[in-house]
Amino acid sequence: MSLLEVSDLKTYFKTQEGTLKAVDGISFNLEKGQAMGLAGESGCGKTTAALSIMKLLPANGYIAGGSINFMGQDMAKVTGDKLRAIRWRDISIIFQGAMNALNPVKRVGDQITEPILLHEKVDEATAEKRVKELFELVGINPSRIREYPHEFSGGMRQRVMIAMALACRPKLVICDEPTTALDVMIQAQILTLLKNLQQELELAMIIISHDLSVLAETCELLSIMYAGKIVERSSAVEVFSNPQHPYTKGLIAAFPNIKGERIMPASISGNPPNLIKPPPGCRFSDRCHVAQDLCKQEEPSLIEVLPGHFAACHFVNPKGV
Amino acid sequence: MSKEIINVDNLQVWFPVRRGFVESLTSKEQRWVKAVDGVSFNIKEREIFCLVGESGCGKTTTGKAILRLVEPTGGKVQYGGEGLTTQQVKDAMEKAVSKKLMTKKEAEECLSGGCVEVTRLPKDKMKLLRQKMQMIFQDPYESLNPKQSIYDIVAEPLVVNNLGQNEADRETRVEKALDDAGLRPPKHFMWRYPHEVSGGQRQRVGIAGALVLQPQFLVADEPVSMLDVSIRSEILKLMLDLREKRGLTYLFITHDLSVAYVFSDRIGIMYLGKIVELGPTEEVIKGPRHPYTKALISVVPKPDPRMKTEKIILKGERPDPAHIPPGCRFHPRCPYAMDKCRVEEPEPMYVSQEHWVTCWLVTGEGKAQ
Repeated sequence: MSLLEVSDLKTYFKTQEGTLKAVDGISFNLEKGQAMGLAGESGCGKTTAALSIMKLLPANGYIAGGSINFMGQDMAKVTGDKLRAIRWRDISIIFQGAMNALNPVKRVGDQITEPILLHEKVDEATAEKRVKELFELVGINPSRIREYPHEFSGGMRQRVMIAMALACRPKLVICDEPTTALDVMIQAQILTLLKNLQQELELAMIIISHDLSVLAETCELLSIMYAGKIVERSSAVEVFSNPQHPYTKGLIAAFPNIKGERIMPASISGNPPNLIKPPPGCRFSDRCHVAQDLCKQEEPSLIEVLPGHFAACHFVNPKGV
Repeated sequence: MSKEIINVDNLQVWFPVRRGFVESLTSKEQRWVKAVDGVSFNIKEREIFCLVGESGCGKTTTGKAILRLVEPTGGKVQYGGEGLTTQQVKDAMEKAVSKKLMTKKEAEECLSGGCVEVTRLPKDKMKLLRQKMQMIFQDPYESLNPKQSIYDIVAEPLVVNNLGQNEADRETRVEKALDDAGLRPPKHFMWRYPHEVSGGQRQRVGIAGALVLQPQFLVADEPVSMLDVSIRSEILKLMLDLREKRGLTYLFITHDLSVAYVFSDRIGIMYLGKIVELGPTEEVIKGPRHPYTKALISVVPKPDPRMKTEKIILKGERPDPAHIPPGCRFHPRCPYAMDKCRVEEPEPMYVSQEHWVTCWLVTGEGKAQ
């Protein structure tokens, strides 16, 4: 059994205009020690999918269907104390803006000790010792545990966030745009750190990013989301070397490659569809250059094109499965 | 060789560090944050010059100082583009002399060179020049007034500069600007509000606002960094089109080397208030000479997992511009730093005709002028 099995997950939001189908039937598995990238444009539902796993949805959001099987428990149904026991102990999250995610009036050491004391029966001295170890692990001088978030730079704050996520030795860490607000040099530092930690501690990771090149460097598996659905899913190498879905192809082509030729990358014109009233058929059909009438009427399902490589497009043919 | 439109010479922007009352009594020395500390470059007609660097390196401040959106502390900026009549230049220079902002001799030099000394112009004459020099801002979500319709946003520069004979004339100018910025048909967008259009379209509104005065030179400050990757190149292509159609010249400011690589003609790498390497884009990216440039290029994520390249990850973060290290300002993070680097600041050395580097490791063909 996999560590995490998400099947046909649907997360909707109640809005004034109607029900917004932010995540509309996604499925994937994650084994222990695997890192999966979840990529897509803003508004494609990648963050909502991750928040659903931890059940951190805003008040108007709810899981409308499907199951999230994490270590034998259906997270979609777990509530109350049971849920509280899993959160942060088994699954933790590194939020996007470290600036806003840390409490500005609490010492960073105390902020990290808090979940340890809540989840484990240890005294404060032991917890503090653990925090110092964690600081060393993420590359911060352990003498800084008494400092406040404003005394840290952006990159260091992100390291504090990572230390906090690892506080209770979780099995799964969700990283929501872990490097988006950081400089390239700091980004490289943080990505290297995440990758090393993942291998050292055998962590399962879900890394959410709009930046395919960041995921290319850190993940073994890659899922591409578009308008609430996973349109392509395989190993990262396979997705980059043999993309099947027109959206994936477009997305890869949209990145300028500093090691490649000096050409202006292609763009995907148009905008993602309205998720309150999604169009019938393939959701990408409006922006797709190979779309036919069939695409506007019938929704393609995710099929296995090659072993372990799935894509949802009417125009991909299974090969050798 | 084509004409230089912008000439920046030893530009400095220093901000005073605010001191507490006690500190102001005990120490006499005023400390400065040297955001821009001696930057020189020129931009030729129809060229895209790109300034690249980490946040806080002074790239945006340089862009703003050229338009005098922040006041430079020292150095010169000259604008030599078209669009101003000789009389207008003359008037502006005379005013500057009468206000004792420059000497008569300097004014004559400027006039004979056919350019305007941007840094010495009186404030009220700056307005005239800003019609020719405009800025595109980074964040299309925050730089547009949510309470104004797109028409009002784009027409505002016309109102401020008292251009356009009547409302109908303004409307045609706004329509043309929106059309040039790719918001077609303009009538469809004109009466909407910023929240009703997508991120990419908002950035087009920002561009239309800069275009409506028919400028010749644009400072584009990270115009695509807030946009989704799938639409970034649309905006970049639009900017290239505008260069063809309107003969625009750009100063493009970005932290993203891969965008700079595909978009610009020449590139300047900034570190802590100074340009450390400058040259034609292809040459700098394919054959970087400064250790900082090499490190920056090595850490750009490549959109391909099969491409494993060695990364030069610099330790630590950039130092505080209020405490610039002595000698070469990069030496505390430089993997190759020598004794000389800690004491003496390197001068620009030319490694090819248009490519210079400030590093003691580089032995060039000669010193910069």
